Amino acid sequence: MDKNVQEERFTEVIKFTPPLYKQRYQFIKDLVGKYKPKKVADLGCADCTLLWMLKFCSCIEVLAGLDICENVMKEKMHRLYPLPGDYLQPAERSLTVTLHHGSVAHKDPCMLGFDLITCIELIEHLEESELEKFPEVVFGFMAPAMVVISTPNSEFNPLLPGVTSFRHPDHKFEWNQAEFQSWALNIARCYNYSVEFTGVGPPPMGMEDVGFCTQIGVFVRKYSQTSETAHFEKPTKAAYKTVFKAVYPSLKDEKYLQIAVVSEVVFTAEIIKRSLMDHLNSKHEEYSDGPVEIKSIFQHSKNCVSEDLEKLAVEKYMEPSVSGNVVYIPLTKIFSFPKVNQLCGTFENFCKLITGKVTLSSDGSAMVVDTEEENE
Amino acid sequence: ALQGQQPLPSQQSGHAQPQQPCLLPLLSAGELAGRGRQRGPPGAAKPEEFQISAGFQEMSLGDRGGRRRDFHDLGVNTRQAIEHVRESKTGSSGIMIRLSTNYFRLTSRPQWALYQYHIDYNPQMEARRLRSALLFQHEELIGRTHAFDGTILFLPKKLGNKVTEVFSRTKNGENVKITITLTNELPPTSPTCLQFYNIIFRRLLKIMNLQQIGRNYYNPSDPISIPNHRLMVWPGFTTSILQYEKSIMLCTDVSHKVLRSETVLDFMCNLYKQVEEQRFRDICTKELIGLIVLTKYNNKTYRVDDIDWDGNPKCTFKKADGSEISYIDYYKMQYNQDIKDLNQPVLVSQPRRRRGSLMPGPAVLIPELCYLTGLTEKMRNDFNMMKDLSVHTRLTPEQRQREVGRLIDYIQKDDSVQRELRDWGLSFDSNLLSFTGRVVQAEKIHQGGRVFDYNPHFADWSKETRGAPLINAKPLDNWLLIYTRRNYDVANALLQNLFKVTPSMGIRMNKAIMIEVDDRTEAYLRVLQQNVTSDTNIVVCLLSSSRKDKYDAIKKYLCTDCPIPSQCVIARTLSKPQSIMAIATKIALQMNCKMGGELWSVEIPLKQLMVVGIDCYHDTVSGKRSIAGFVASLNQGMTRWFSRCVLQDRGQELVDGLKACLQTALRDWFKWNKYLPSRVMVYRDGVGDGQLKTLVNYEVPQLLDCLKSVGKDYNPRLSVIVVKKRVSTRFFAHSGGRPQNPPPGTVVDVEVTRPEWYDFFIVSQAVKSGSVAPTHYNVIYDSSGLKPDHVQRLTYKLCHMYYNWSGVIRVPAPCQYAHKLAFLVGQSIHREPNLSLSDRLYYL
Repeated sequence: MDKNVQEERFTEVIKFTPPLYKQRYQFIKDLVGKYKPKKVADLGCADCTLLWMLKFCSCIEVLAGLDICENVMKEKMHRLYPLPGDYLQPAERSLTVTLHHGSVAHKDPCMLGFDLITCIELIEHLEESELEKFPEVVFGFMAPAMVVISTPNSEFNPLLPGVTSFRHPDHKFEWNQAEFQSWALNIARCYNYSVEFTGVGPPPMGMEDVGFCTQIGVFVRKYSQTSETAHFEKPTKAAYKTVFKAVYPSLKDEKYLQIAVVSEVVFTAEIIKRSLMDHLNSKHEEYSDGPVEIKSIFQHSKNCVSEDLEKLAVEKYMEPSVSGNVVYIPLTKIFSFPKVNQLCGTFENFCKLITGKVTLSSDGSAMVVDTEEENE
Repeated sequence: ALQGQQPLPSQQSGHAQPQQPCLLPLLSAGELAGRGRQRGPPGAAKPEEFQISAGFQEMSLGDRGGRRRDFHDLGVNTRQAIEHVRESKTGSSGIMIRLSTNYFRLTSRPQWALYQYHIDYNPQMEARRLRSALLFQHEELIGRTHAFDGTILFLPKKLGNKVTEVFSRTKNGENVKITITLTNELPPTSPTCLQFYNIIFRRLLKIMNLQQIGRNYYNPSDPISIPNHRLMVWPGFTTSILQYEKSIMLCTDVSHKVLRSETVLDFMCNLYKQVEEQRFRDICTKELIGLIVLTKYNNKTYRVDDIDWDGNPKCTFKKADGSEISYIDYYKMQYNQDIKDLNQPVLVSQPRRRRGSLMPGPAVLIPELCYLTGLTEKMRNDFNMMKDLSVHTRLTPEQRQREVGRLIDYIQKDDSVQRELRDWGLSFDSNLLSFTGRVVQAEKIHQGGRVFDYNPHFADWSKETRGAPLINAKPLDNWLLIYTRRNYDVANALLQNLFKVTPSMGIRMNKAIMIEVDDRTEAYLRVLQQNVTSDTNIVVCLLSSSRKDKYDAIKKYLCTDCPIPSQCVIARTLSKPQSIMAIATKIALQMNCKMGGELWSVEIPLKQLMVVGIDCYHDTVSGKRSIAGFVASLNQGMTRWFSRCVLQDRGQELVDGLKACLQTALRDWFKWNKYLPSRVMVYRDGVGDGQLKTLVNYEVPQLLDCLKSVGKDYNPRLSVIVVKKRVSTRFFAHSGGRPQNPPPGTVVDVEVTRPEWYDFFIVSQAVKSGSVAPTHYNVIYDSSGLKPDHVQRLTYKLCHMYYNWSGVIRVPAPCQYAHKLAFLVGQSIHREPNLSLSDRLYYL
């Protein structure tokens, strides 16, 4: 067959949907979904697209990016900031996103203790000297639980239209499967990792030997790392420059937890008050002979011993009551609301969080809400 | 099926974020006037003055894509056509006052220029990102500091040659020739530079981690939470850099964004618990339509145009690549968002902007993933809520000045911001601009043959004129007082107090015909039908609650079917014995105006002058209908007014209706005065940002036409003044060390005005708390030949003539009357009121 005709045919065949770069990102997202790492770093994060996708993964609490080019990182790093929505309903998890400017040939303690480090289409951009240092920095120093490395498979290049030498002018090399795998196996052996090979962008039918368009090595650390080995034997001098840092609002932060709790409590109290007032008003309409006196059942006896009485007392204790222009809503009643309960965990914590933020009765057991009509 | 949301990153190879279809500023439901809202093809909306390509247009108002209209009305040069103010537009009367304002000068290095280059690629490269990447392979030539939109490059330096050729290589190894051609050397004041400054400034705000919502920037890390209303308030700034009278300045003011910490779904669920099931959809639709929502997963806002009750998250839509996907899967895949409620309806938002030549389909939004923003009309009318809100948003002049200073401090202190500015050779003054304004003399109030002085600092004469006879008191010979059984005592108390307060005003009063009524809308209407006659002077209804439907029904009946003045009073306002007399006084005055009476006047030196006020109301709920109120003076003292309104339906031009109004007003004027006015002065309120051009090119000529059509020899002088209440400008007076509000009567026509306009600011009102907002007046057409000083004085005088307030207000009285009328019609009547009422202020 004529060579040109053959290439022509491939041009039609070799079209990846979704595009290959997306498939690579999806591969990482799937991996994150499966292993639920808490700390993830992307080396060679470029315009931070992968990091942006990963920030939506709710298991991740620390996201870091590293790149040698500060400008390309800065171009779109703003999308890594929290969104208005993140502030309006802070998430349960905490999340910090940091971007560093620096080289993968240098060690910096900020990259220690990660669960997953990804190097997507990174190594082929490294100069020989950098590539030499790379295994020691990533596997020896950073030593995360898992490393993912992807790189072009040069055996696939003849199938790609218009690719004569390398796929990108900045590539310093492109490896075939054997080259990549021997490099990877050697590293795994050296640093006590296991490695499995896979890829994205499958070869056309009948040409399976060519392998994936992008080859991927997934490395898993074989030893478990204690915090001592992780942090104390390592140098602590910083080599990277932090160019971006965003701390996402989270309910783990007391400030946001308090805002959320107080907001929920006041809103809940408002609903209780409204339904109580509606109830009273409808009564008022029925027998409109003078104001209805609702006796406060707030003062209860503390000396009940019988279980039945106790239960009765608790139920009564839970009931809101009206007195003059105010409604008393027992804190126990508010705490029994699922959302409040879930946010605070314990009653003590609940009390601590609302202290000073809402008006309480003199004995501190109930919240006081004004009944003054709302409209003017 | 509805077309799904389009914003998939895959389609947007060149852009950081998908486009955003929402154009409405979040908090200004009543802001935009009819015409300007419709957008023409993208090219036409763009003033020709800018030689900036589409890419920079996008960036200029916040890097979010999409072309926006010119909010600052740049390129509308009206002053040059008004001969007598070409030399000077400043007034002269009053005493000088030292003022400062929330403006900061932008300075550039001496001989500064911005260099604009055109970039060509051979072979042609399409993707903007690729174009960028290829160009910046030559950073050593271009430098670190640059702004590039794919076609036009801005640099702070001049390259060695006019045309520079360089070569880059694509990743496919293709060689590309890039030609960099110097096309412009822009002086600091060129319009392109102004846009450029705004681009750079917005970069700075982003560097400072402020969140963009709508047109402004907010700091979300220090929210003010108002939990009993589920509100969240973010402090922030509005900013703009423009060419003002003498220099280019940054104007910045504190802005507060009201957000709601509940999703649309939360809101729906709460509402569902509160109303009967069969009314739920109706009420829910009414509450939500027109609101702006903010999506959880990206920073975008949408206006809710419809609710699709048959849709749900399981429905599918077609992606750009043609594949079908359900909303659940889409949000899961794209943003890792799990939709929990699979039976919720979906929200529909119509795009406001074209994308290229295509109008994109409506966006479908999931209530669970959308937050509510801003306030609903219902919330705005909630006195307590507004009170709670104002505690946080109302700033004293001192606080405001401090907050504004804080932004400048950030700018001065932030290293990356400073570096960016330094690289461009720009810097901001660190002090607020200060200059001299004038406080014009206080007006004297004429009432019942007497002249009253009042303390000009309070701008209120209710005490001074209490008990004085009115200019024209209408008798209450035959009137109805309608009340429910529960309010019998209140009705009597009102009657007794009216008997006490009316004699000194000169109002003759008989006892009202007292009618008890069931507390139901139909009962009120039946009573009205049975008891109102052509001799009835006025109907007073005591309402037991502020329920709108009852009020609307009464107003509708008495403004259209049976045109008789009416006064509704909520019983509770009369419940406090200590204030009932003061309230009865106010009610008596208001009733008198509604029956055609006149209260007070100020001296108006100009003769044969007709003043017109126009304002608009935009009905956000029931479709796109706009209503314009039109009010024209009928006499020398400006105490009698002709009032009509225009209901503009979709596709109709507002100005056609306004012409008809003006014609009838002139006819009425003639009936009253037996001659026609020799001057007509139109105060036009309700003009949105960016609509000035339309007004100048379209509305003014139509008004001129209308005057011409009255008679062959009739050629009155016309002035058209655009009135703007929503401005960011604030003035601070510095007497006694601390920044204070400038006193009422402060006029500013220097420094912060625009050189291409005949414009000025007046602070006419006094405020009890917070910072006073000046009103901006822009004379866009003027054949009167009047001196600026006279126009300013007359404008200030007119602010004294609003009969619902015994004091000075923010705008000329006719504008406020027009506003009141349009509001009543838009909110309650929804039809044109009966013309027999047009000679009275029946809508007060």
